[in-house]
Amino acid sequence: MRIGRYELTFQPRPERPGVHSALTAIPAILLALALSSLLFLPADTGFLSAYRAVFSYAFANPHGLQATLYRAIFLWLCTFAFLIPLRAGLWNIGLPGQVYAGALAAFAVPYALRVNEFPAPPLPAGLVILLMVLSATIAGAALAGLAGVLRAKLHVNEILVTMMLNSILFWLVAYMIKEGGPFMSLTGEGESFNLPPPLYAPLLRDVPFTALLALAAAGLLDFLFAKTTLGYRIRVFGLNPAAARYAGINPVALSLLVFLLGGAFAGLAGYHYFAAVPGVYKIPGNYGYYGDLAFYGIICALIARGSAVGSVPIALLFAGLSLGARFAQGQFHLPFGVDYALLGLLMMAFVASHFLYQFRVVWRTVAAEAVPHVPTGIPER
Amino acid sequence: MWELLVRSLEASTIFLLAALGELLDQRSGILNVGLEGLMLFGGTLAFIAAQTTGSYALGFLAGLAIGGLLGLAHGFFSITLRGDQVVSGMGLWILSFGLTTYIGNPYTGPLGMPRIPSLLGLSPFVYLAFVLVAAAWLVLFRTGLGLAIRSVGENPAAAEASGINVALTRYLCVTLGGMLAGLSGATYTLSYNPVWNYNFLMGWGFVSLALVFFSMWNPWILFAGALIFGVMWQLSLSPELLLPGILSRYVWRAVPFATTIVILGLISTPWFRTRWGLTKPEALGQPYAKE
Repeated sequence: MRIGRYELTFQPRPERPGVHSALTAIPAILLALALSSLLFLPADTGFLSAYRAVFSYAFANPHGLQATLYRAIFLWLCTFAFLIPLRAGLWNIGLPGQVYAGALAAFAVPYALRVNEFPAPPLPAGLVILLMVLSATIAGAALAGLAGVLRAKLHVNEILVTMMLNSILFWLVAYMIKEGGPFMSLTGEGESFNLPPPLYAPLLRDVPFTALLALAAAGLLDFLFAKTTLGYRIRVFGLNPAAARYAGINPVALSLLVFLLGGAFAGLAGYHYFAAVPGVYKIPGNYGYYGDLAFYGIICALIARGSAVGSVPIALLFAGLSLGARFAQGQFHLPFGVDYALLGLLMMAFVASHFLYQFRVVWRTVAAEAVPHVPTGIPER
Repeated sequence: MWELLVRSLEASTIFLLAALGELLDQRSGILNVGLEGLMLFGGTLAFIAAQTTGSYALGFLAGLAIGGLLGLAHGFFSITLRGDQVVSGMGLWILSFGLTTYIGNPYTGPLGMPRIPSLLGLSPFVYLAFVLVAAAWLVLFRTGLGLAIRSVGENPAAAEASGINVALTRYLCVTLGGMLAGLSGATYTLSYNPVWNYNFLMGWGFVSLALVFFSMWNPWILFAGALIFGVMWQLSLSPELLLPGILSRYVWRAVPFATTIVILGLISTPWFRTRWGLTKPEALGQPYAKE
């Protein structure tokens, strides 16, 4: 692009140090925050008080903070589910489907044991909870694994397969919990049965134990990518599949592995939201909302640039922001869907920051002789 | 039964318009996985424009305009900036999914306008889609422009060397493709099912994207695929017409998606690839830098 005697070019950055990744994440978040002020335009109050309301509800109000944490755990797990295949260059956008699969599998355990029909559970409660967690992770992993196998063996586009699986699982949950489906509650139409109190997930200071699992996983994942052979292979495969093959990395096993691992986290996220968050303990009729929320995992992983530990504060912020936005929506009479709009704005901010991450903007003075001769209309002689 | 057939044809039209746009993109070497996003935005803005102005023409114009604009944005990212086309496409989809839910929400509900009159018992868009398929085939395989588009998708460097402006050709295709996707969304919200609802598409765009892969990048096969999926989709919405009382209606809704996965798997087998795999545009999804 040339403007007068100056030339503006975008040059690919030759190297991208880790600090640089962190530095591009911050403008992306700031840009998203600035853009989301547009959402408060129809509000009854000014921007600043709207922001104050959002943040003070999400992080200072005891109820809000608790809800933020529950949501953050969900987002952490969803983020890892997207992040692991992403490191291998694959897109797992089947997070909602895997979340639903995890939820269904978790509820299948008490359903199969008929815990609601007996006065005392047939197995110790701790064992049943463990079975529920295992069942949820296996279901999530299996569903994602299907996309992984198709990708690895046949090179089927994983975006299409995971998206189709989202729709299939969405309708499967509807079948299971609505209109006389097996999991339907006896009292309420359109939602699943309630878990009996002994099967509520154990809480540590009012926070479900899934928080510990998620935080430990964040550290382990970054260790995996940075220090182990397997992590190295995943990264090589993600950066250059052809080179990885020459280096003797088995593409089939690797594609399958990253999807299995990712899916397991999404399945666990499904267990977390429907069986471990206090006050829920069932698959509600609006389960689709939680599926949509899982898409925040995509944006968190992208903005964190594939760092699991880096995504922890980012997901926490977005959990609070989306929750606070929902709260502000009621308080300031905003249209429905502020949290959805935020998702879109974050994506826009990410794409912009991605550009800055990949390219340098360079101003250059064009040498005088390179500037084309402009005809003046005056005869030469 | 006649009613089912008519509705199926109208459903096929939605698939066909969007998939035709994507086919044009992909023939020029640009992959746009955000097709559903373009359709969502086109449909939502068309609905809002039509309802607020009371004019169908303005509604369709709005749908075409936003579709073209988003297509252009995808083009800027993938052609000029040579970015990752999947990142840009997924970005467009999530952006549209989020923003249309917010923008469209106050308009939730029926359109409240007289239906677009039908032509010989069918929606006029069925005929339009048919004409567009024929036109796309003619342009792609019988004109110099079509040759330019296809060569840009196969080998942009060779095309450039033979005097074709790669960037311009690709920009033309993504913009036209985006407009077709916007038109498809507008046809959905203004003609096929004139009720706005959050995320009203629920996967139509991704099925359309899959249809392009099934079609081996040929408009006529795409046409046949869209017809089959139109019938299947309509049957999944009202299974009682064919198989009353078997399975829950929710299970039927999942059938088109499951079929898509099965077909995707089939066309990816080595057996299929060695016979017909060569039709895939060689440079699909790869950024091109002019030497």
